[in-house]
Amino acid sequence: MSMENKRYYLELRGVNKKYGNFQASRNVNIQIEKGRLVALLGASGSGKTTILRIIAGLESPESGEILIDGKLVNNTPGSERGVGFVFQSYALFRYMTVYDNIAFGLRVKKKPRNYIDDRVHELLKLIDCEGLEKRYPNQLSGGQRQRVAFARALAPNPQLLLLDEPFAAIDAKIRLELRAWLREMITNLQITSIFVTHDQDEAIEVADEIIVMNHGEIEQTGSPRELYSHPQTPFVAQFIGASTPVENYQRFRFFQSLGDDTTAILRPEFVSVFKKGENKKYTESAEEGVVEDVIFRGSNLEIRVRIHGVVLSGNRGINDPVVEIGEKVDVFVYRFLVVDGKKIVRLDNSSLREESIII
Amino acid sequence: MDIRKNSGVVKWTLIVLCSSFLVVFLILPLIYIVVTALRSGFQAYWNSITDEYAIKAALLTIEAMVCAVVINTIFGICAAWTLTKYQFRGKKTISTLIDLPVTVSPIIAGLIFVLTFGRQSFLFPFLDRFGIQIIFAVPGIILATVFVTFPFISREIIPALAAQGTDEEEAAAQMGANMFTIFRKVTYPHIKWALLYGVVLCSARAMGEFGAVSVLSGHLRGKTNTLPLYIELLYQGYDFNGAFAASSVLVLLSVVILALRMWLEKRGAKEIDVRK
Ligand SMILES: Nc1ncnc2c1ncn2[C@@H]1O[C@H](COP(=O)(O)OP(=O)(O)O)[C@@H](O)[C@H]1O
Ligand SMILES: [Mg+2]
Repeated sequence: MSMENKRYYLELRGVNKKYGNFQASRNVNIQIEKGRLVALLGASGSGKTTILRIIAGLESPESGEILIDGKLVNNTPGSERGVGFVFQSYALFRYMTVYDNIAFGLRVKKKPRNYIDDRVHELLKLIDCEGLEKRYPNQLSGGQRQRVAFARALAPNPQLLLLDEPFAAIDAKIRLELRAWLREMITNLQITSIFVTHDQDEAIEVADEIIVMNHGEIEQTGSPRELYSHPQTPFVAQFIGASTPVENYQRFRFFQSLGDDTTAILRPEFVSVFKKGENKKYTESAEEGVVEDVIFRGSNLEIRVRIHGVVLSGNRGINDPVVEIGEKVDVFVYRFLVVDGKKIVRLDNSSLREESIII
Repeated sequence: MDIRKNSGVVKWTLIVLCSSFLVVFLILPLIYIVVTALRSGFQAYWNSITDEYAIKAALLTIEAMVCAVVINTIFGICAAWTLTKYQFRGKKTISTLIDLPVTVSPIIAGLIFVLTFGRQSFLFPFLDRFGIQIIFAVPGIILATVFVTFPFISREIIPALAAQGTDEEEAAAQMGANMFTIFRKVTYPHIKWALLYGVVLCSARAMGEFGAVSVLSGHLRGKTNTLPLYIELLYQGYDFNGAFAASSVLVLLSVVILALRMWLEKRGAKEIDVRK
């Protein structure tokens, strides 16, 4: 597969943005294929909104290129880039009705009245808000507001949709529902979309591809699965998925040391906890630990077990034989993610060499 | 002590105090104006207020008021927009300068203009060459009125604009709306009531302005006399009937403005209730 020949719908090349002395984006490179749903994931203040604003033409970068559909758009006004923007707080026009909000972009573009009317009703139907066209934004629920903002951004038929923390202002209860709704909607419309979030679960659940940002830089880009199983930086390893830091992984059996100043990160999935003699296969290579805590997690049990002076988390099934606090158990670690400077190295248990373990 | 208790000596004492204060300082003088104006009969009153110079003075007052409102509305919107939508150095200074006319005595303001545009000014030969007369002429009166009413409109709009933020404008701009459309469709509804309220305040203040206008006017009867100046002139000439008749016109205008103000406050509060 040759990366050079691939055609991306959106490309950012070496984008830098400063606010005064503060570097909000540093050498940002993004490549997104047409029709993808991409999450821009990072902690608050990591520069996610800035990237969206640069793509939408609301900010201009100090350096770097923005290409949409192969065309350089650095000097194209935001309104002519074919981009729809859903603002974080929705920024609905408070003094306009739902109808006028959705129609705004079409009226600005001087579309014929009939066309506007048809399009607004089509969108109202799409977002399941028929009959609400005469309401003002403050007369809508949070979810309805979000959907109206979505419809307003979609009205002029953008080819690229940008959503800034679309679920942040919504109660936890309907948030899950809206996530599914948005994903379905965007998949059906086949519109290339980027949404910003600081919630890794949201990114993993909704996106085809995740771009992880940290301090204005991109740490890693990949599918949720790739980021999870092949994190390339310590930040990504810790940010995506549950993890326990293990300083002294060198003391565990069947793991060779990759250097004295390296540490490791461990995921619960990499740890199996057995009652003594419960599993013949691993008895040889397992080490003894003591159960510190058993936490009920709905579909499974989290077992916190002390071994070599550290407390690890491992999972056990609900129907497996019960382990008690204080019980001596066999602990088998499949793999560590070893932090070597700025890199992550996957280190597998050497007793498993012949077998392939799929997580 | 329970402040909200309905009975009580304190409460009633305060109410009586406030009411008598208002009666003595406000209602009585107003009644006195009307009574004095009508003392020599309605015909005399009518003659006084339809006097050629009285009408000219009233028209000039209205002219100055309209100019002040128009100029200060444009300036006020620009200033409020600049101060709330942009970040820049010297913002505080501009904000403070806008309030200056309220703190400077109107007489001083008048004198400043005389010094700036009068015979001794370096600008005078220049203005003279183009036949522009400011001092002792209508432009001077308008200038003075604009100056003293300078902050009234911008001060009303700034809080309304600041409360709204900039994201609605940004959304509109992102969809390709131009500045004018953004202002008309997005910003204006937010500041409408504040703006109208500012216009009312500005009108009231413009109508009554005496000090600065007095310095710049030159008191040319029928030419540069506004109503307040005209009243002063009649009063100095012991024409009490005429002075009070003209005053009653000014009072009537004030009452109209007061009524407008009350109506605006009610409407504005109602609409904000609905949209916030
Ligand atoms: N207009 C601005 N002026 C100055 N600093 C800004 C501005 N906008 C954002 N920043 C700063 O840039 C950083 C990144 O902001 P942002 O892109 O909004 O982050 P995120 O959306 O990831 O929370 C933050 O530290 C923020 O304080
Ligand atoms: Mg943000």
